[in-house]
Amino acid sequence: MDDLLQEFLAETTESLAVLDVELVRFERETSDAAILSNIFRLMHTIKGTCGFLGLPRLGAVAHAGENILGKFRDRELDVTPRAVTLILKAIDQIRSLLAEMEVTGAEPTGSDDSLIGEINALAGEEPAAAEPVFADHIVPNLSEGGFPVAAELLAEVAEALSQESISQSVPAILPEPPPAPVADPAPAPAPEPVPATATREAETKESATAASSIRVNVDVIENLMTLISELVLTRNQLLQMQRGQKDNEFKVPLQRLSHITSDLQDGVTRMRMQPIGNAWNKLPRIVRDLTVATGKKIELTMQGAETELDRQVLEMIKDPLTHMVRNSADHGIEDGARRLAVGKPETGTIALNAYHESGHIFIRIADDGRGLDLERIRHKAVANGLTTEAAIATMSEQQILQFIFRPGFSTAEKVTSVSGRGVGMDVVRTNIERIGGTIELSSVAGRGTTFLIKIPLTLAIVSALIVEAAQQRFAIPQLNVVELVGVSDRSEARIETINTSPVLRLRDRLLPLVSLRSVLGLPPGGASNDRFVIVAQVGAQTFGIIVDRVFDTEEIVVKPVAPILRGTRFYVGNTILGDGSVIMILDPNGLSGAAGQIGATDAQAGQGEAGLSDGQSGEQTSFLLFRTGGGELKAIPLELVSRIESLDAASIENVGGRHVVQYRQHLVPLVPFCPAHHWKESGKQETLVFSDNGRSMGLVVDEVVDIVRDRMAIELSSARPGLLGSAIISGKAVDVVDVGHFLTQAFTDWFEITAMRKLTRQALLVDDSPFFRNLVAPLLASANWKVTVAADGLEALRLRDHGHQFDVIISDIEMPNMDGLALAGAIRSDPRWSQVPLIALSSRAGEDDVQAGHKAGFDEYVAKSDQAHLQESLTRAVRQASARNQAHYELRRAS
Amino acid sequence: MTTRPLCLIVDDSRVIRRMTADILGDLGLNTAQAEHGLAAVEFCRATVPDFVLLDWNMPEMDGITCLRALRAMDLAPRPIVVMCTTESGVTKICEALQAGADEYIMKPYDRDVLLDKLVQVGLVERV
Repeated sequence: MDDLLQEFLAETTESLAVLDVELVRFERETSDAAILSNIFRLMHTIKGTCGFLGLPRLGAVAHAGENILGKFRDRELDVTPRAVTLILKAIDQIRSLLAEMEVTGAEPTGSDDSLIGEINALAGEEPAAAEPVFADHIVPNLSEGGFPVAAELLAEVAEALSQESISQSVPAILPEPPPAPVADPAPAPAPEPVPATATREAETKESATAASSIRVNVDVIENLMTLISELVLTRNQLLQMQRGQKDNEFKVPLQRLSHITSDLQDGVTRMRMQPIGNAWNKLPRIVRDLTVATGKKIELTMQGAETELDRQVLEMIKDPLTHMVRNSADHGIEDGARRLAVGKPETGTIALNAYHESGHIFIRIADDGRGLDLERIRHKAVANGLTTEAAIATMSEQQILQFIFRPGFSTAEKVTSVSGRGVGMDVVRTNIERIGGTIELSSVAGRGTTFLIKIPLTLAIVSALIVEAAQQRFAIPQLNVVELVGVSDRSEARIETINTSPVLRLRDRLLPLVSLRSVLGLPPGGASNDRFVIVAQVGAQTFGIIVDRVFDTEEIVVKPVAPILRGTRFYVGNTILGDGSVIMILDPNGLSGAAGQIGATDAQAGQGEAGLSDGQSGEQTSFLLFRTGGGELKAIPLELVSRIESLDAASIENVGGRHVVQYRQHLVPLVPFCPAHHWKESGKQETLVFSDNGRSMGLVVDEVVDIVRDRMAIELSSARPGLLGSAIISGKAVDVVDVGHFLTQAFTDWFEITAMRKLTRQALLVDDSPFFRNLVAPLLASANWKVTVAADGLEALRLRDHGHQFDVIISDIEMPNMDGLALAGAIRSDPRWSQVPLIALSSRAGEDDVQAGHKAGFDEYVAKSDQAHLQESLTRAVRQASARNQAHYELRRAS
Repeated sequence: MTTRPLCLIVDDSRVIRRMTADILGDLGLNTAQAEHGLAAVEFCRATVPDFVLLDWNMPEMDGITCLRALRAMDLAPRPIVVMCTTESGVTKICEALQAGADEYIMKPYDRDVLLDKLVQVGLVERV
C-alpha cells in the first residue's frame, strides 16, 4: 500500500500542476468548455482516487473544489476571480496535505472546515445535492445486449430511485414495456463536451505511446548515467591506446564500440530529458496571483515548453526562472494606467521562449515593461559600496546593468510581498553559472527587459579544451571558450602591460588577461614568449587566459572537485583523460574574478572609502594618467572623463580644418593635446571623451598609462595654457591638465553650460535621506563639484571642527539630531563657515518655509519635489549663492 | 486447459489502475491498462479483452464514448463492459446501459465489490 500511496502522491502532484495552469487559462477564457471540463475531470479524479485510498480529508477538499467547478460547468455560478482564488486555495491545501503525507505516510489529522465552509458559502448551498433526474426519455436497450444482469441492475436502479424519493420518474424507467423514445426530451443538464473522435485522430498515436511508457526511478537513470560516464572514459582510453598503434584487428571493433558508446550516451542523456514546460508549470499561477495582488494586467506567453533538457539542469533553473518572471511581473511591467499613458497596450506581456541551438538550450524571458532604471542602478551600486562614483562614470550601460547580478543588490525601492526579498539576481546568476550556463541581459528604457539564458544540455559530460601551463594540463569547458589567439613577439597580437596587469589588444577592445601560471602559483614561464591566449566569456565579461600550449577538445566526464580543493575558486572539478591522467577542470568563473580584480584595481582601491563617506576621507581623487607629446605624465581627474576610446585613425575626418569623428550619429570634435600633433593615417588613436549636456568632445592623446587614486595637490602652477600645474600623484610628478582649456577649443560656449574649469570646488551636502544624498551628490559631481556628505547638522558641524572648508553647503531642513535651520544658525554664528553660501534643499517649500529658511541664514531655497529640475535649480542656486560670495570665493582660490 | 480471462482496466488515474490490477490479478485475471478511452479502443483493435472495466470521466475520450465505440466495433467475442464511476445519477446509469454496458459499478469500489460483479457476469466462480 505504501507503494500505491507513493504513486498517488506523484500522480496527484502532477494533476495539481496541470490544474494550476489550466485554471489560470480558464479564468481568461471562461467560455472555453473544453478547459473547464478538463479541470473538472482532474479535480474529480483526485477526489475519486482519494475515495479508493481512504483519504477522507483530502477527498473533502477536492470535493468542495469540484462542487464549485460543477457549478461553473452548469452555469449556476459566475466565474469570478474570487471563486477561482478559492479553488486555487483548495489546490494549495491539497498540495500542503500531500507534502505532509509524503513525510508521514498517512493523511494528517485536522480539519479544513473553514476553507470548505468558505467554498460552500460561495457555492451558495450545502454540497452533494442529488443530480436532477430526467430519465423518462432514456430507456435501457435490452433487446440488443440481452444480458440478464441488466435486468437485475435495473431493479437496483429502481430501488435506488425510490430511495431518492423522486417518485414521478420511477414508472418511466421500469423495464417493461419499453416505451418508444419521447420526441421532446425534458431539458437536460448542460452536456459534457465530448471531444470529436475524428479531430483527435492525429493524437491517437501519441496517447498510445503515452500508454506504453513506463516510470523509472530517477536513481536508476542516475546510476546508468554514471556507468555511461565510466564507459566513455574507458572508450577514450582505448582510443588513445589505439591512436599510437598501426592498424590491427582491434581497430574496427573499437570503432564500433566507440559509436555504440556515443549512441548509448545519447540515449541515456535523452532518458534524463524532461520538457522545460515542467519548470514553467507554476508560472501562470504565479503571474495570475500577482495580477490579482497588484491590479496589473499581465499576459504570460510561453513558447517551446516541449523543449527538453536534462532533469538535473531543469531542477537548477526552476527557481531562477520563477524569480525572473516574478521580477518582470512585479517590477518590470507597469500598471495599466501608466502603460496607457505612455501609449502601450494596457496588458503587459511576459514572453518565455525556449529553444535548442548548437548543443545548448536558450531560454529567453522578455517583458515589455519599463526596462531597467539605469540611474537607479548607478545610485544603488554606489550606495551599496559596489563601486565608486568615479569608476561608474567610465562604465558602459552594459557594465552598469551587470550590477544587478552582484550580491547585495536589489533595485526594488519597496519590498513587495512578491519579490525583493533578498533573493536577488545574484542567486539567479550563481545558479545558472553553476550548471555551466550564462545569462545575458539587455534593457531598453520604456520598452522592456530581456534576459537570455544559455545552458548546456547536460552536465555530466562536457566538451572541454585541453591546455597546458608549466607542463601541467588543464581542461577548460568549451562552452566558455570564444576564441584562441596565438601570441608571440613576432605576431601582431602581443601581450602588453598596463600597471603590471597583462592586457591584449584584440580588435577594438582591451582584453584583461590572467596568466594561468601566476594565478595557480605555478613556476613562471621560461624563455619562450610563444604562448596562447584563450579568450573566454563568462556572462557579459570577456577576458583572456594565458597558457603555454593548446591541445585538443575532448569530451570529458566531470567529476566533482575533491573536498580538499573546494576552497580554491579556480576549479570546477577533475576528470580522467583518455591516456589515463587525472587533470583539473578550470572554472572560468573563478578565473574571471582574477581578471576582474586586475581590471578593477581602481574600484577596489577606492572601496574602503567608497559611497557616502567618500569625501570625508580627504580629497582623494581618481586620476587618469596618460602620455602625450613628450614631457611629464599628464593627469586628469577621472570623473571628468566619460569614456576612453581607441579610435580607428581611418575613421577620423577633417571637416573645415577641424578633426571630427562620427559617434552615434553625432560629430564629435577632436582636439589634440599638443598643437603639433601628428595625425596618424592608420592604426589606433587613443582618445579621452568628455561629455556634458549631450555634447561630447575628444581629447587626442598618445597613450593611456594608468588610473591612480591620490590626493589632489597642485604644487606648482603653470603658465602654459592647458595645464593647471604640476602635482605629485602616486609618487610621480605629473602635469595636471586643465580640461576646460580644451573644452573651449572644441566648443567656445561650453562654460555657459557648466563650470568644468573649477576643479577644486568643494560642496557639503547635508541630508538624512540616503536616497537624496545619492540623487544629489552625482548631480553636483557631474557639475564638477567634489561632494562631501553628512547625515545631519551635528555631523556637518563636526566637519567644521575638523577644519574642513567648503565652497557651498547644501542642506536639508528636516533632519534628526540637528535640523537645517539650527545648522544654518550655527554656521552663520561662527566665523569659520559664516561666509560660505548656504542652500536649503527641502521637500517643504511653502512660502513660510522659504521665509524661515532665509531668516535662519540660507541664501537660496530649492524644493526637492521637482526632481526633474533639481539639477537646474541647484546649479542656479549655487551660482547665485556663489556670486553673492564672489569676493570671498576669489579670495579663497587665490590663497 | 482454460486460459485466464483478460481484463482491460480503463482509468485516467494510475493509482486506480494499479490498485484494480492488483485486485483482479489476485482474483485470477490477466490485466491490461489504458489511460483513456482512445487508448482502450486502440488496445481492443489489436486484442479483444474478455472484460472491460471502464471509467467515465477521462481525457481524450470519455467512458461513454469509448463504450459506444467498442460496441460499434462489433468485437468478437463480445467483451463484457462494466462502467465504473462516481456519477450516481440514474440518468447516467441508464445512458450507460443503453449504450451497451453490461454492469455498473460505483467508485470507490473494493475487492469484495469487484468480486461480486465478476461473479455476476460469470467471469469468476465464487469459491
